[in-house]
Amino acid sequence: MERYGEGYLEERKLVKRWSGPIPALVSLALTLGVFYLTWWIFQDPRGLMRMYTPYVGYMYCRWWLIMMIWMVYIFNFWPFKRKWLENTHPLTKGVVLTLVSTVILVGLIKGFFEGLMGNYGLAYFNPEQLEKLPGITSFFAIEYASLAILMFAAIASWLSPAWVVAFEEAPWEKMKQPGKGFSILIMTFFLSTVVYFVTMHPHMGILYHPWQYFTSIAPPYWEQFANTVSGNFHVSWIMCCTVVVWLVETIWERYPFSLIKNDWARRFAAFFGIIAIALAMHFFLYFAQELTWGEAIRGTRRAFAPDWRWLHVGEMAIFFLVPALFVTFYCDNWPKKYSLPVNVLLRTIATTVGAIALYIVYYKTSHDFLGTQKGFSHPQQFPMIPMIWLVNIWLVHHWFMDNWPAWKMVPKTVEEIEADHAAKLAAIEDVRLNSKFGVGLGAGVAMGVAFYFVTVWALPAVYAAVNIIPGK
Amino acid sequence: MSDNIKRRDFLKGAATGVGIGLLGAMGLYSYSPMRKSHFQKAERKMADIGVCKSIKVTNISETSWFENAVLMGDIKGAGGLLVNQYDYNWPPFGNGKGLGKGSYEDGMAKIKHLLPDRLDEAWKIIEANCVNVDNAGGYAALIELEQMDGAKRKFLLDSGWSYKWTEECFKREGIDKMLENKEIEALFFSHEHFDHYWGLPVTLKYDPEITIYIPEGFYPEGLQYIKDCGHKGKLITVKPGLQKIIPGMSSYVFAIPIICRVYGEQSLYFNVADKGLVSVTGCCHQGIIRFAETAYNEIKYENDNCHGIYGGLHISPFDDWDPKYDDLVISLGKYGFERIGCNHCTGVLCAKKFITAGYPVIEGTAQYRSKDKAYLGNGDTITFG
Repeated sequence: MERYGEGYLEERKLVKRWSGPIPALVSLALTLGVFYLTWWIFQDPRGLMRMYTPYVGYMYCRWWLIMMIWMVYIFNFWPFKRKWLENTHPLTKGVVLTLVSTVILVGLIKGFFEGLMGNYGLAYFNPEQLEKLPGITSFFAIEYASLAILMFAAIASWLSPAWVVAFEEAPWEKMKQPGKGFSILIMTFFLSTVVYFVTMHPHMGILYHPWQYFTSIAPPYWEQFANTVSGNFHVSWIMCCTVVVWLVETIWERYPFSLIKNDWARRFAAFFGIIAIALAMHFFLYFAQELTWGEAIRGTRRAFAPDWRWLHVGEMAIFFLVPALFVTFYCDNWPKKYSLPVNVLLRTIATTVGAIALYIVYYKTSHDFLGTQKGFSHPQQFPMIPMIWLVNIWLVHHWFMDNWPAWKMVPKTVEEIEADHAAKLAAIEDVRLNSKFGVGLGAGVAMGVAFYFVTVWALPAVYAAVNIIPGK
Repeated sequence: MSDNIKRRDFLKGAATGVGIGLLGAMGLYSYSPMRKSHFQKAERKMADIGVCKSIKVTNISETSWFENAVLMGDIKGAGGLLVNQYDYNWPPFGNGKGLGKGSYEDGMAKIKHLLPDRLDEAWKIIEANCVNVDNAGGYAALIELEQMDGAKRKFLLDSGWSYKWTEECFKREGIDKMLENKEIEALFFSHEHFDHYWGLPVTLKYDPEITIYIPEGFYPEGLQYIKDCGHKGKLITVKPGLQKIIPGMSSYVFAIPIICRVYGEQSLYFNVADKGLVSVTGCCHQGIIRFAETAYNEIKYENDNCHGIYGGLHISPFDDWDPKYDDLVISLGKYGFERIGCNHCTGVLCAKKFITAGYPVIEGTAQYRSKDKAYLGNGDTITFG
C-alpha cells in the first residue's frame, strides 16, 4: 500500500553536520536572514508589498501557519509520498511544499472566505460587500474583512493542532490518508465555526452602526466580566490556547497528560487541560499588566484600555512560542538527560527566560528593524505578526526542509524507531506515582504558589527597573 | 527503594508540582477580586496649576482633510497606517515620485527658499509635486484665557496642514493680524501629525518669533522642519508629564505611539474658577478618559469637577468603528463633563452616539466646509466659565 508522510517527522533522523551549538546558530542566522528579507518583501511598511496595513498581512500570516499545520499535522504531507519526502533535496521540498501551501492559502482566502462566505453568507468577509455600506472607505472595508477572516484563523490555529496533540487524531487515528485528513479538517473547521460564532461574531456585529442586534448578541455576553465589548477578550485566551498546544507538544512532550493510561481520559484531559492552562496564562498576563501599568480603565485608549490589555495578553503569549519552538527544532529539546518532569521544568524555565528577553528586545528595537510603530500600545502594533512570520519560516525550515543545511535527514531504521518508542514509554514509566512523588508534588505545589506570589510582589519593581521603550 | 530512586521520585513530583502550583495560582488568583489588594493606592498629587476666570476656544479649522475616502485611499496605496508620514508624498513634502515614495529632504529642497514668507509660490510647487493636494485641510484652534484679574492671553493650538487652507482660515478668524500684532504668545503643537503640524509656515509667516511648545518624541524630520520653516523664536520641548504654563493653564505630554510613525501627544488642562477642569486636545490619542484620569491623579481643580472638553477626541476619524469605541461611549458619562465640544477626529458617528447617549454635546453650525452640526465646526466657538 502507498505510504504518504504518516510518522515522517518522528521517523526521520536529523543528523548535525557540525558539532556543538553551531548548527543551531547557523540555522538561527539563516532563518533570521530569510525572515528579514521576506518581511521586507511582504510585510514591512517601508518595503515592497507593505501588507502590514496591518490586518491584511496579519491574516495571510496567520492562515499560512494553519496551512502548514493542515499539510503536515492533519494530512501528513498527503498527497506527497514518503519516498519523495525522503529522497528529494530539502531546498526543492521547501520550495514545492511552500508553493503548495501558498496556493491553498490564496484559494481559501479568496475562494472560500471572500468568494463563498462573503458573497453568500456573512458579508463582512468580503471587502466588496462591505464597501456597499455608506461611508465606509475601501481601506477599512479590506481591514474589517481581513480582521474577520483573521479571527477565524486564531481559532483554527488552536483547534487544528489540538485535535492531533490532545485528541491524538481520534477517532480517525487508524484511518488512511486522505480520509483521516479530511475527517479531522472538517471536524476542526466545524468546531472553529461554532467557536467563531460564539466568541467573534458578536464583536463583528457591534462593529457597525447601529449594532446588529438581530444577527448577533449585542451587547455581547462577555461585557461585564471582560470589562469591554471588544472580542479581544477572546483573542486573548484563544491565543494562549494556540501557544499552550505547542508547549504541550514540544517542550512538554505531552507531559503530564501522557501519564494517563486510558485513551479517552488522556485525550479529554489534554484537550481541556490545554484550555485550563491557557486560561491561567490569560488571567495572569492580564494581572501582570495591572501590576506594572496600573488598573485598566474601561473606555480609555491604548495601554489602559481593557480591550488592548486583553489583546496584549495574546501578544505576550506569542513570545513564549518562539523560544519553545527554537528549543525543540534546533536544540533537540535540550535538556534530555534528566527525568521527563525535570526536563520539562528546565525547558519551561529556558523558554520563559527566552520569552522575556525576546519581549524586551522586540519592543526596544522592532520600530527600527521592522518598520512597526514604537511603543507598546499602538493600535496597529501587533508583535504577533512578526513572531508568527518567524514561526512560519521555522516551520518551513523544520517540517519541509529538515533543518537544511545544518542538519542532514537520514531515515531511521526500524530498530531506531522501535528504540525511540521504547524510550518514550520508559520516560513515562519512569514517573512512578508513589509516596515520594506525592511528597515532592506537595512540596512542588507549595513552591509553585510561593513563586507565583514572589513574582507578583517583585514584578512592579522589576518592570520599573527595565526601560523597555526608550523615552517611555 | 534506594535513596537515589527516592530522591529522583521526589524531584519528579516536585518538578510537576511547581507547574501545577504555579498554574493553579495563576488561574485562580490572577483575575479574582483579591488581586486588587496588590494595586498601589495612588496618592493624588493635587499639583496646583492656579486658576483662570474663563476659556474661550475658537475653532479655526477642524477639517483636517476633506474626504476620508481620498485620505484612506492614499494610506492604503502607500502601504497602510504604519507608513512614515513623510513618505506619503503628501503636501508640502512632494518630490513628484508618487504615492508612498516621498521624502522630507526631496520635498523640502524644492520649497525651503520660499518659507515662510512666499507661501503662494511654495504652494504652486507643492501642487505640482504632491498627491491629492486639494484634500489637505488642517486642524488649528485659538485659545483665549481670561485671567482672574480680567487680562486676556491668547495661544494657538496647532497650525493646520495645507498652507492655502490654513491661511484662508487664519484670515477668516483674524489670526493673521493677531500674530502680526504679537497678541498670540505661544503656539502649542499637540503632536507631529501632518494635519496639525505641517501648516507651521503659515503661523511663522505672520510671527516667526513665536514661542513653540512641542511634545518630546518628534522625529529628526519634524525638528528640522521647524528650522527650515524659518522659526526664530524659542522652541520648548516638553517632556512627558505635567508642565505648568500660566496660572490656570498647563500642558501634559503623553508618551504614546500614533499612526504614521508619530510619537507623543501634548494636550492642555485649564482650571476654570468655580467650574472645574477643562480639557483641550488636538487629537487626544491618549483617550479622553485617560486624559481625565490623569488630571484626577495629578492636579487640583475647582470643585473636583470635570467641567468641559474641547477638541478632537480621536474616536473614529476615518468613518471607521470598533467595539472598543463603544466602551468609550458607554463610559464617558461617568465623568460628568458638563460641556462637550468635540470635532475633527472624534468622528461624526461618535458625536451622534454621544448625543444619543444624552451627553451634553455642544452642536455647531456646519459652516466653512465642516460637514455636520453634530459637533463644533470651522469658525464655531465655545466658552467655559
